[in-house]
Amino acid sequence: MLVPIFTLKIKHKIHPRMVTVGKYDGLHPCLTCGTTASKVFVHNPHSQAIAGGRLAIHDSDISLLSINQSVSAVCAGLLDTTKNRDALCIGTQTNLLAYDVHDNKDLFYKEVPDGVNSLVIGKMPNVDKPLVVAGGNCTLQGFDDTGEDVFWTVTGDVVSSLTFADFTNDGSNELLVGSEDYDIRVFHGDEIIAEMTETEAITGLCSISGSRFGYALANGTVGVYDRTARYWRIKSKNQVMTVHSFDLDGDGVPELITGWSNGKIDARSNATGEIIFKDNMTSAVAGMVDADYRLDGKDQLICCSVDGEVRGYQSDRSRIRVVDANKATTDMRDLNLSKQNLLLELQNYEREKEPLKANQLTSSEKIEGGIIPVNTSLNTNLTINTKGRPHIELIVSTTNETIVRMVVIFAEGLFDGESHIVHPASSALSNQIRIPLYPVKDTLVELHIQAFVSLPGSCNFHVFEVTNVLPVFSSYLYDMSLTKEPESYVTFAVNERMQRIGIWMNENFLLTNEIPCDAFIDAKFLALRGGEIIIKMTESGQVTIKTDNIDLAGEVIQSLAAFLRLEDLQVTAHFPMHLERLGEIMNTVDNLHAVNQKLAAEMTDHSNLIRSLVVRAEDARLQDDISNMRKGYVELQDLNRELISGYHVRSTNHQELVKSLKVVNQIIQKASQLRVGKFQTQVVSQCREAIKNSQVTALFKIIRAGSA
Amino acid sequence: MELDLTAVDYVQVAVTDKKCMKILPNNDKRRVTQKVVVGDKSGVLQCFGMKKRELNSIFKLLPGPPVSKLELGGALGTPQDKIFASCGSEVRGYSRKGKKFLDFNSNLTEPISNLCISGSDLVVAGLYICNYFCDCVDQGYYLSNDRINDIICLPVNRRDEDRLVSVLACNDRILRILEATALKYELEVPGPPQCVVPFKDTGGEEGMELVYGTTDGKVGHVMLNNEQPEYKWEIVNEKNLGGISCLTHHDITGDGVPDLLVGRDDGTVEIFSYDIAEEPVLRFAHNFKESITAIQGGVVGSLGFDEVVVSTYAGWVSGLTTEHMQKKVTSSSIPGNTNSANTQPADMDEDTQKKITNLRSEVEALQISVESERGRHMEQTSKAIANNSSTLTRPAAFHINDKFVLSPVDASYHLSIEVQTAIDHVVLQSDVPVDLLDKEETSAVVAYTSIPPPTPDSSGDDNFLLATYRCQSNTTRLEMKVRSIEGQFGHLQAYVIPLLKPKSCVVRRYPIKPLSLHQRTHDFDEQRPMNVLHLSGPFSVAEIHSWVAFCLPDVPERPPAGDTVNLYFANTFLDTQLACIYSKGEGIFRSDNISTISILKDMLTKEATAKKINLNIQYEVSDDSIAYTLQLLHPKLDKQLMLAKKVQLLDALQELQVHEGSMDFLAPEYREILAEADKIKAEFKKQPARLERLYGMITDLFIDKHKFKGVNVKQKVPQLLETLDNYELPALIDFFHQSVY
Repeated sequence: MLVPIFTLKIKHKIHPRMVTVGKYDGLHPCLTCGTTASKVFVHNPHSQAIAGGRLAIHDSDISLLSINQSVSAVCAGLLDTTKNRDALCIGTQTNLLAYDVHDNKDLFYKEVPDGVNSLVIGKMPNVDKPLVVAGGNCTLQGFDDTGEDVFWTVTGDVVSSLTFADFTNDGSNELLVGSEDYDIRVFHGDEIIAEMTETEAITGLCSISGSRFGYALANGTVGVYDRTARYWRIKSKNQVMTVHSFDLDGDGVPELITGWSNGKIDARSNATGEIIFKDNMTSAVAGMVDADYRLDGKDQLICCSVDGEVRGYQSDRSRIRVVDANKATTDMRDLNLSKQNLLLELQNYEREKEPLKANQLTSSEKIEGGIIPVNTSLNTNLTINTKGRPHIELIVSTTNETIVRMVVIFAEGLFDGESHIVHPASSALSNQIRIPLYPVKDTLVELHIQAFVSLPGSCNFHVFEVTNVLPVFSSYLYDMSLTKEPESYVTFAVNERMQRIGIWMNENFLLTNEIPCDAFIDAKFLALRGGEIIIKMTESGQVTIKTDNIDLAGEVIQSLAAFLRLEDLQVTAHFPMHLERLGEIMNTVDNLHAVNQKLAAEMTDHSNLIRSLVVRAEDARLQDDISNMRKGYVELQDLNRELISGYHVRSTNHQELVKSLKVVNQIIQKASQLRVGKFQTQVVSQCREAIKNSQVTALFKIIRAGSA
Repeated sequence: MELDLTAVDYVQVAVTDKKCMKILPNNDKRRVTQKVVVGDKSGVLQCFGMKKRELNSIFKLLPGPPVSKLELGGALGTPQDKIFASCGSEVRGYSRKGKKFLDFNSNLTEPISNLCISGSDLVVAGLYICNYFCDCVDQGYYLSNDRINDIICLPVNRRDEDRLVSVLACNDRILRILEATALKYELEVPGPPQCVVPFKDTGGEEGMELVYGTTDGKVGHVMLNNEQPEYKWEIVNEKNLGGISCLTHHDITGDGVPDLLVGRDDGTVEIFSYDIAEEPVLRFAHNFKESITAIQGGVVGSLGFDEVVVSTYAGWVSGLTTEHMQKKVTSSSIPGNTNSANTQPADMDEDTQKKITNLRSEVEALQISVESERGRHMEQTSKAIANNSSTLTRPAAFHINDKFVLSPVDASYHLSIEVQTAIDHVVLQSDVPVDLLDKEETSAVVAYTSIPPPTPDSSGDDNFLLATYRCQSNTTRLEMKVRSIEGQFGHLQAYVIPLLKPKSCVVRRYPIKPLSLHQRTHDFDEQRPMNVLHLSGPFSVAEIHSWVAFCLPDVPERPPAGDTVNLYFANTFLDTQLACIYSKGEGIFRSDNISTISILKDMLTKEATAKKINLNIQYEVSDDSIAYTLQLLHPKLDKQLMLAKKVQLLDALQELQVHEGSMDFLAPEYREILAEADKIKAEFKKQPARLERLYGMITDLFIDKHKFKGVNVKQKVPQLLETLDNYELPALIDFFHQSVY
């Protein structure tokens, strides 16, 4: 077992994912963590800090920073390249503060209406200075050391994790963004160069080496990607709190270190996922960083728990060895276990060699032994059922008198958990089970189906395993009888044969027969979640996709572009409903801003009044004028109440604003999704420009035509 | 706990049953290590010793019917080194060299599950019947009231003139002491005894002292004086470990006094030594992660080192030795030698290295043959499908060792499933509302399937719980906790799917009885105010017994002998009690908890109606009993409420602490909460939803009380909950006594 080379007990709680380390004086690393009561503490064991400003010295080593807003992210790093000192960046739900701990002053304090969920500091291509990138509600914003936002883009959903990694292996860093819509997007500058869909919200990302990076999901999965290919992943019942990479065994290759909610820390080989080290903290891991905390020239892995326990580990070959010695025993056990498994399997085949004849056994023997005819086979079929609430139906059936007792489907992203069980009442058993499926997203899902087959009444089952694929657009029913045509559409030209589009439709939709595609294509689909989509293609190669669902249109275009290997695609989009909505929201945003300003002014008035009231009341007290003092304090109380109600108004106002801004960002993102390649980025940057200059008409035009 | 023992694995055999491994005594004058004899479910009986760390097989017999018990015996006064093994209804005897000298068919209808040998006397037992043979001549039998879990013969060092005394450990929490086949007396123990051994191997000074272990994890010591048993110490199961599966004595500490060795269902092995007052003190504990089936002490691995030898369910024979193996391994690694170039760690000694390589090649060879067999099997199957052949096929077979035990400590059921091979996943299905609780040790990933509310056209699938437990690789044992609600009954089913190809599954059904939280007991406090349910009607003892067995756990399948049956139960959650006394045509049920009586009444009438038996039901409701039960609940409720309050305050207090730095201005009670923060949190985490459970039971009590008076008080429940939120015992009692008209 690797033993920590130092342990500290900091008497403060540490909020999960709010751990960073910075050299604020350029020399000594200081552990910095978000803690309770909207404070941030800086642990500085090496040099004395000076109190004042935001800083308050608490213990000898700990200084506390008061933020007065609940902290949502912290990150330390080099912002000003001329200074060689790390800046501490602190994000809250409304603001971003960059702070110079050494000089005890704010570098900048910026309003970030989209909130800051995640922070990372690093270099972006095409920008000379390092940037601090804040991920908020659907947006990414990058600030330089002066607080100017030089980078802005939108992403699909609330950003839940960020990291820099050299995804393309070209020496410059890409920004990896994990969001709550299960996607990992890779930005080179403001262009999305890759997108991976996972099975849950991405809660952690960390660069390992080169194009390799680790990720963690909200459902307890950790894994490693190399570019867009997943190397391995494992899933645990515990929550992943944080992932980090560090070379713990000193072999020159960093491992993926995972901190878990039950306090477990494990280091896994980044190539195989095999555990090479583990340790346990007494409470959930809050964060992990690496720094030369002992100032001996070697970096340590520093792990912090939510209760303020800090442990440092150093990479050390000799210590790892001891683990190996224990490993021999576990290896032996594992090998023996697999030996037993194989022997058991052989034994079962041995027993099967003699074919059992039907007349050898009585029917009760058959039932007891779980015996079924050899020729039993399992059929699975995916269809769309429009009865009641329309849904996709999976029919699992056997070919003879055997029954299907139960069906278990393991599939990711389709159900609440990783599995779905259908277990009919014992009175309603037959050789067929129908399973309704309600996918909430349009993604490709692999269904690992297990059917439990036996004769009626048996306690032993044969388990049939089948894998079916649910195509991306499976929840759309081909139905030419539809009469209603959606108002909105996108249209674009492709230089492709008609049949290729036909193949794409066959692959991605759940069809019973092929769609005719000789001279032209006119395919109507009923969406099971409501609405409809019509895909048309004329002989001249003009493709029109009619749907009121802008997301769907975007997904269809992205899927088609990927299939046809289109690098760039410009489209004309006509989404009157969305534009109308956007116009309304822009109005609301303006109103909300106005209200906000008014409220802020009111608050300033009130706080001035409070100050004078306090002085007056205290004066009265000193003069033993109790009645006046009481009057003063009663007034103060009234004012306080007013302030609180004012606060509530402000907070709802703010919530409203955040919600509206999120919708605006999402519409821009959706509009960009309708385009491919450079046109995609163009839409985002031009929309941003238009919003900055509050040109609503230009914004509409960009969304419609793809450029101003 | 200064004992420092090292685990070593010796050999793996097939799945083993309880008490199927023994260490042979040394009758050689030379100093040699002792030999281990083990029998498994594939019927192989083998004996081995260790020679220079290499396994040295003495004999290994061919497979046959599974070995169900293994005992050592021999003529009185000589070393007990003859091996007796029971398989099916036969008992076979072997010499220590493996020569068969006895092949005896007991002609019992049930297979032998217990075996005991003393000189030329042989006691064998199936589930209920215990047969006594002398020189293989039948001497009679004894029929037990409940399942027999274990048998031992006393006295240990029997002389020829001593009469044979056998002790039966029976599932109804009774040790039955037999002289030949006549019952001498019965001795009550606090849980269903799973195994019993003579105290300190010899039975103490009088030779009549026993140590027993129960399925709920208790160990106790009892002395058999003439007619009147004397109870000595008892080790309670505070840590909620598994049930005791085997016990033995051996002097591991080397102080001349035998130590108590305990093996449990959950793989824990504990060593207790006796202090001056002869009380056991825990010295060592180790977990083998597989349930222990037999435990022995002896010198096996190397001379001069005593060790504990265990066999596990999956067939591992392992030791916990006083010899320090690990030292040798680690000392060769020089600390700081970080530059060593060889990638293969040199500190793995050569022997182990060789063993691993051998094993690996063995596994690889197996893999190849399995691969080809698998191909053949696939081919065969596809051919059969093509030909539409009428032959049949069996699912792949495997052994399961499962337990579903009520744990009185937290009033929940512990389900443990162990398979001889790695488990892929387990599907749990229940047709009663139950809660699955998370167990820290279980690493499996749980996924619940949400149950759609039953629609009018489909009557629902009778599912209240559907969950998959997907196990991490190489898991052979799975544990979970299930919490039931009294009054709701049905079955919990576990579909076990091991990592075997072709995939197959076995389902296990566990009944959840209407009074699922009750446990058999022997004490009954007559002083408590009681509610009485009196039944009469034209039913037989067997009929009413079956109804009671339907309602309550721990009831034997067949009615106990005698005209009147007396059964006592205690509620593990509330500590209320229930007495059932019934005979032909009459049944009296008394409990201080009115809900218990209400559930019983509903169930019994339902069962009787199903059998078309006309029941005459009378009941007396004691108003005092309500106050009494509430009083009984009071300390629990009070404690939970305090705890909940403290937990609520904790976060705010901790924030204050950060803000203010010093806590001196706070009231002492708050400072106390802060000081005990960790303890409070841990306690709260340990018993989730305990308060809700208590509230639920009080609500039931309230509804049931008025139900007996023919009033439906559903609409008053919110008021009751309000009273509970501002909990004061007198106010609550008043509320219960208020008339609702």
